[in-house]
Amino acid sequence: MRDVVKVYSTAAGDFTALRGINLQVKPREFVGIIGKSGAGKSTLLNMITAVDDLTAGEVTIHTNGEAVSLHQLSEDQAALWRGKNLGVVFQSFQLLPMLTLVENITLPMDLCGVYSSRGSRERALELLRLVEIEEHADKLPAFISGGQQQRVAIARALANDPPILVADEPTGSLDSVTAEHIFEVFEHLVTEQGKTIIMVTHDESLSPRFTRTLRITDGELDEAPALETVSSHNGRRRK
Amino acid sequence: MKTPPSRQKTASVEKNLSHPDAMIDMHGVVKTFKNAAGEFTVLKGVDLTIRRGEFVSIVGKSGSGKSTLLNMITGIDHPTSGRVVIGGTDIYTGVTESQRSRWRGRNLGIVFQFFQLLPMLTLLENVMLAMDFAEMYDFDERPARAMAMLRLVGLDSIANKLPVLVSTGQQQLAAIARALACDPPLLVADEPTGNLDTRSANTIIDLFEELSRRGKTVIMVTHDPSLTSRTTRTIIISDGELINETIAKALPWLRHRHMLEFTTLAQTRTYPANAIVLSPNEPVEQLFVIQSGEADVVLQERRKKETILSRLKPGDFFGENELLNGKRSMASIRASSDGPLEVLTLPGEDFKRVMAESPVSAGAVGRIVQERSKVYRAADHSKFNPFSLFRKS
Repeated sequence: MRDVVKVYSTAAGDFTALRGINLQVKPREFVGIIGKSGAGKSTLLNMITAVDDLTAGEVTIHTNGEAVSLHQLSEDQAALWRGKNLGVVFQSFQLLPMLTLVENITLPMDLCGVYSSRGSRERALELLRLVEIEEHADKLPAFISGGQQQRVAIARALANDPPILVADEPTGSLDSVTAEHIFEVFEHLVTEQGKTIIMVTHDESLSPRFTRTLRITDGELDEAPALETVSSHNGRRRK
Repeated sequence: MKTPPSRQKTASVEKNLSHPDAMIDMHGVVKTFKNAAGEFTVLKGVDLTIRRGEFVSIVGKSGSGKSTLLNMITGIDHPTSGRVVIGGTDIYTGVTESQRSRWRGRNLGIVFQFFQLLPMLTLLENVMLAMDFAEMYDFDERPARAMAMLRLVGLDSIANKLPVLVSTGQQQLAAIARALACDPPLLVADEPTGNLDTRSANTIIDLFEELSRRGKTVIMVTHDPSLTSRTTRTIIISDGELINETIAKALPWLRHRHMLEFTTLAQTRTYPANAIVLSPNEPVEQLFVIQSGEADVVLQERRKKETILSRLKPGDFFGENELLNGKRSMASIRASSDGPLEVLTLPGEDFKRVMAESPVSAGAVGRIVQERSKVYRAADHSKFNPFSLFRKS
């Protein structure tokens, strides 16, 4: 990301949510972006996921041997690119309540047309196995716990085998033990599957878990650790 | 001459279970959960009929069984015993999970508190998804139909936006458009406004009202009293049982457990037109609550001329003054000439005990008694004009 600026125009005037963001993320990094509510975290994610337009600057993402400049894509092109290259996990799991877990995962695959429909069920079961929830495959979301639902949401995000996973407060509505398990899943995806993960959160205590931690304040990104108490851990866990 | 009433034990909600207009018929639905600690019965034999085009709210405290009740209607969970018939289909007898899933996709729209839109799909694609899954409508037809649904909820101008770029109220409207995509006759909503500000919540309820006017049956679980006032009917569930709707309407200040107790104690009596329910000076041993039909409160004067003090309607009650003040009947109560009168009777001793346990209810009933006594005294002195404010509301 180079000099990314995002300005929202409202009736009350312009509001600058991002003030010249520069960010480079390497493959297989697990990057945490920590900031308070309103600091620009979600806007930053929307730039990386090409969900929203930027006002100025560039976002270029290298995946599968090609470099794509997101800021130059049309809405349709962005949707197509996103479907193949990005998995997104949210705080609320957004599973469809009338579909079983396995159907929740096959549905986006069927929409993208990456796998045949027989293959998609097998792929979905494989993903449920990866997040250790395969035995519940034919249950409806209402009958599993919140932590289990988030595992399914992660499996769904992985459905099209995207190289990049983006997560917005994925443990925000989970208790600490469950959140710990979800983190183990993410760490496994980085070390064993070679995924790149970018996670935004407001929770300072998570910073030791990332291979790199950044802070966002008032739309500005700061690589240096802001809190002295955690400084000894920051950025030192990369292998 | 007093006509002996016909008596029967009252059903918990409505007895007319095979109504031709019925959208939902539940018969003796029991749900028991088993766990390590033993068995726990969440629904204790629920009978419920909901007619087509009704806009119904279901309320109950946390743990009362309302979500389980909803799961029985959506086919998400299955009853331990009993039958659930929706739109003429018994959805649990001889139906496999995948048949039920297919049925659900075509007959039921479900709206949840959290909107469950897929974040990487536009609003339009989210609505189309429901048609894809139910395999409804030709492939080419789906975008136009999805757009029509978004127009219905007022989102057509932002159809191509992703969910994160629209407000939470708009996300919920999109979820409703998705629920309507396959044109289901029944819409079920679980706390649909629980996550919304008041203005967005009102938009949602306005939309539900409009859908019900167009013939959809809308069922909404909520704990918000300001929403129940907008529905055509409110069903209260307490401890796994449904509260008699007449009792809930007549005695709204009661605690749910007291309403439930009265539901169990209530007996139904039916009187033909013009039959006398209570004669003047008769000892009163029950509280009477009108379930259907109307009754006249009649004051007999010495010169045989009678004065109709008031006409009581469904949800009105009588006998409370006599019970609470230990008096005999002050006026006569007569079924109106328009047709039969159906009343629920509650044992006087139980009514007095509950009033003693519940100061809020006692206060409310006390105010009604005072008002009525005033009217009665005025009329008794032959200075009163009939059709007073005798009625409860």
